[in-house]
Amino acid sequence: MTSASTASRPELVCPAGTPAALRSAVDAGADCVYVGFRDETNARNFPGLNFSRKELDEAIGYAHGRGAKVLVAINTFPRAGAADLWHRAVDDAVGLGADALILADIGLIAYAAERHPEARLHLSVQAAASNPAAIRFYADRFGIRRVVLPRVLTVHEIAALNQHIRPVETEVFVFGGLCVMAEGRCALSSYATGQSPNVNGVCSPAAHVRYEETAEGITSKLGGFTINRFGRAEPAGYPTLCKGRFVAQGKASYLFEEPTSLNTLAMLPELIEAGVTAFKIEGRQRGRAYVAAVVQAFRQGVDAVLAGRPVPDLDLDRITEGGRQTTGAYEKTWR
Amino acid sequence: MIQGQGQTGGRTVPPFTPMLLVGLALRSVRPSLLQPVFDALMTLVRRRHPDILDRMAPYAQAAVCIDPIDLPFVLVLEPDPAAPRLTVRREIDPAEAVATVRGPLETLIALAEGKVDGDALFFSRQLVVEGDTEVVVALRNAVDGAGIDLLEDFATALGPLGRPVRMVAGAALGVFARLRQDIETVRQSLIAPALQGTDAQSARIAALEAEIKALRKQAKAQAKPARSAHA
Repeated sequence: MTSASTASRPELVCPAGTPAALRSAVDAGADCVYVGFRDETNARNFPGLNFSRKELDEAIGYAHGRGAKVLVAINTFPRAGAADLWHRAVDDAVGLGADALILADIGLIAYAAERHPEARLHLSVQAAASNPAAIRFYADRFGIRRVVLPRVLTVHEIAALNQHIRPVETEVFVFGGLCVMAEGRCALSSYATGQSPNVNGVCSPAAHVRYEETAEGITSKLGGFTINRFGRAEPAGYPTLCKGRFVAQGKASYLFEEPTSLNTLAMLPELIEAGVTAFKIEGRQRGRAYVAAVVQAFRQGVDAVLAGRPVPDLDLDRITEGGRQTTGAYEKTWR
Repeated sequence: MIQGQGQTGGRTVPPFTPMLLVGLALRSVRPSLLQPVFDALMTLVRRRHPDILDRMAPYAQAAVCIDPIDLPFVLVLEPDPAAPRLTVRREIDPAEAVATVRGPLETLIALAEGKVDGDALFFSRQLVVEGDTEVVVALRNAVDGAGIDLLEDFATALGPLGRPVRMVAGAALGVFARLRQDIETVRQSLIAPALQGTDAQSARIAALEAEIKALRKQAKAQAKPARSAHA
């Protein structure tokens, strides 16, 4: 175990849904920015979001000119008979000079490894690989260099995992929306809307979301299902089924997870001690004000830990979902 | 019918800011007199930020109502890349727009300039969204991604006149900021007596909640041995 002050410098991997957000992330101190193409090949296929080929070309130029890397997420699962779209995404990302590809589908990983053996490949959280045998398989067979870990492991488990999978790097989520399901395998969105993050690149698509203002507050609906009702003074949330408030045995409560945001700023020393290579901030669908605020906070946090100083107490409440924060599974007090 | 300035069935109350006073002053102004300003704004968008219309292309025929709650007007955006329009109206029939975005003007401008996070505004209820959420999300992403700076965009478009415009606008924004501080002082002064009463009520409610919790705990503890005895 190394002390935080002598640990290698972890990368800060930041989200960008638009070129302006990418510039905000780089200017705020991101080491890497992850992006996606404007289609269903990535898990944030939201309306009005993402990059054209030309925009990605310019964005890579901007980032590289300032010492930052660009990672391209192609992390949905190709539809049968339509793999060309995903193959083109891989070819174009490599051709435009992306520093790494973030992939989930085993067939697409095989395609990238065979066609572009020089490309650096990262395993997306969508692949849900969370044990040494699974990660070693991807590394041995396809040369995967880094795995983005599912948000279900404790810090202790991550430290133990790192001991077993070296030299494969680990990347963990440190801030943002919290997916509590087995990522890449969750069908809740499909059940309610017919579309999922796994194939269509969108969880609880906005086209199926409705907010209804009433005298009592606001009702959020997904695919016609009422997901939540918020009082007038209560912070609202996006209607995903896993964060819905349902009535069971006469009592309304959150059955899976509350609308809340992951925030591990105070845990950065432990995560660095655990040997994590990269810290990932969720939120390609969020605006550049969010990107700038979170990246600045985590840049300060990481730099402080590496300099042997305490983590600064930075208030990120105003940009969290539901106005609430959690350390998620990293500290499983409920286990 | 959606009407400007807080007349949406009494549900949306505008904050007490200088913009509210501007809105009151504009009540007698005909929307058509303001239309040239919004025509110029759309010309600017087409010239300097064509990527907004590009990202909105799938929603070219979707009219979005933008309702600044402190002004006596609403704006109707039609993002057709071939003929985009931003029309200022006194009111709009809800059926004319697929979605409505409602909030104080300063908040809407800050959102357009990417200075605040749209999701955070919505989660904290400072922004209201109604209707087709997909179109609103697309618009938010398109505008946020454009990197708009309204003053800089206008000044640049004015060429040699840009410099004096920047100076005048800078001075005006300074006056506006001071006015906002003064109004906030007045507002605090006006509501202070009411807040004192609210604080006392809150303390009383907190004490009652604690008492109820303790009683419930006590009742549970007393019920346990009784259940055990029946088992």
